[in-house]
Amino acid sequence: MGMTITEKIIARAANKNRVAAGDIVVANVDKLYIKDLRFSKKEDAKGLYGVLLEVLKSMGKQQVWNGRNIVVNLDEQPPRNERRAEGQERARDFAREQRAVLYEGQEGGIGHNVMVEHGHVKPGEFIVGGDSHTCTYGALGAFATGVGFTETVGVLATGQIWLKVPTTIRFDLSGKPGPFVAGKDIVLWVAGKIGYEGAINRTLEYSGPGIQEVSIESRLTMCNMAVEMIAVNAIIPPDERTVSYVSETSDGDFSLLHSDADAAYEQVHRVDLDQIEPQVAAPEYPANAHPVGDFKGVKIHQGFIGTCTNGRIEDLRMAAEILRGRKVKAGVRLIITPASFLAYRLAEKEGLLEIFKQADAVVTSSECGLCVRPSLAAGEVCVSAGNRNYRGRMGPKESSVFLSNAATVAASAVAGQISDPRDYL
Amino acid sequence: MSTLLIKGRTWKFGDSIDSGNIDGVMGGVDPEFKSKVKPGDILIAGKFFGMGASDEHAPRSLREAGIAGVVAESISNIFLRTLVNIGLPAMECSGIAAAVREGDEIEVDFVGGRVHNLRSSRTLRGDALPEFALQILDRGGLIPYLKSGGKFK
Repeated sequence: MGMTITEKIIARAANKNRVAAGDIVVANVDKLYIKDLRFSKKEDAKGLYGVLLEVLKSMGKQQVWNGRNIVVNLDEQPPRNERRAEGQERARDFAREQRAVLYEGQEGGIGHNVMVEHGHVKPGEFIVGGDSHTCTYGALGAFATGVGFTETVGVLATGQIWLKVPTTIRFDLSGKPGPFVAGKDIVLWVAGKIGYEGAINRTLEYSGPGIQEVSIESRLTMCNMAVEMIAVNAIIPPDERTVSYVSETSDGDFSLLHSDADAAYEQVHRVDLDQIEPQVAAPEYPANAHPVGDFKGVKIHQGFIGTCTNGRIEDLRMAAEILRGRKVKAGVRLIITPASFLAYRLAEKEGLLEIFKQADAVVTSSECGLCVRPSLAAGEVCVSAGNRNYRGRMGPKESSVFLSNAATVAASAVAGQISDPRDYL
Repeated sequence: MSTLLIKGRTWKFGDSIDSGNIDGVMGGVDPEFKSKVKPGDILIAGKFFGMGASDEHAPRSLREAGIAGVVAESISNIFLRTLVNIGLPAMECSGIAAAVREGDEIEVDFVGGRVHNLRSSRTLRGDALPEFALQILDRGGLIPYLKSGGKFK
């Protein structure tokens, strides 16, 4: 019996010839991502660094496992309160003293975007991160999953983590996505098909000839939302697009692993990309997804384009296609938060920011933004390009969030109601 | 009795309980549970226990309430790791939901991977954790384990 790409990466990281779903193994971590928020978590009075220093001391060590493979990112710029400011101070102390890589200011943005754009994610790597959307990195053919506070301390001290090898659900893609159909629509369609807990304890693997028609940015979106189906990780075996992208961002030193033809899959589903329409997920689960037409006419108060899910340049371009020469409807606010400063500067260079300005949208600095702090009043409705629409996610319990791709958000902001971006073609 | 061999009264919960509902000692499922549960009690759950966010508040609240162990049909990957890493013994055990009625007294051997129901005299086999994970539990969690010189494997 062969192995899936996920099993191969885990086996390599665990120094084993083979692993199978259900095995519990100890793996050597290639990269660890930590966000500033972890440094101000209240789980432990001493915070992440305080607890870590105590552990290191009792192990007779002063340094963490390998600073060069640890990336710290300040997701919140500027910090929203004193406690967060203190957390960021601690994050900087940590990075300096432990020789970790730190991103902030113009180098930064949302950590997951920074990790990918700055070449910290390469095919075949075993990556863990102190944030649930770490699964995003699977788009480049890496194994990547989120870890908790205590696990982060463990990895920092030892470079290792134990985990149970997940079973895999494979999606075989064929065909080609139509206009204004992007990774978000594919992943919402998948979530709608398997349900909000449909991938629990499992790997989602996207393959088949259709994946070649899907851009790297759309792939990042598809893997990003795996955690919304409670998957351990999502992965897309590397192809030419992957190699070309990673050769540009990284040192180019990586190995390409693929699933064997006789690997074991728990389920295999077929996806015909030609049949997928722009999707909208109604409150209060991302899996509550249907074609946009089902929601036409729902009045909105706010549109939001941004986040580690859909704040990349592809999303900004899609939004600009709709917004060029149009205006956001009076009384509706459209907030655009490029997920990283790299995307921000690219958007500026391409004239997209000017289009947004002319359309009366508000463009903010690159950070997690409205995805992590309230922006809605009771009774208000937001169409968001983000990943979560749970009750109260963007405001009080009485506010609601619909999820869609960036073009659908833009089209809806122009119309003041949920609208199909294809009507603007 | 040790941390890894426990005897206690059971409380039963259903399938797919996410970490948000576990937070505050199962507060999202039964707000009264917090005042009913006694130190040493054992929590029984169905499939996919602890699915959802990787936040540690939820499992910590169970430990702080004195729950001595968790036995479930299946436990979310990250939640199982977190339970072990914060020092709360846990085991996946197929058939447990049908084999236990709430209030039954059971004996759980986390090392041997066995659950014995004292009411029905039935014994079930569960998936015992590997040796290093049991040692982490024995020392009270990953951080005390690493502090006392423990290693993985």
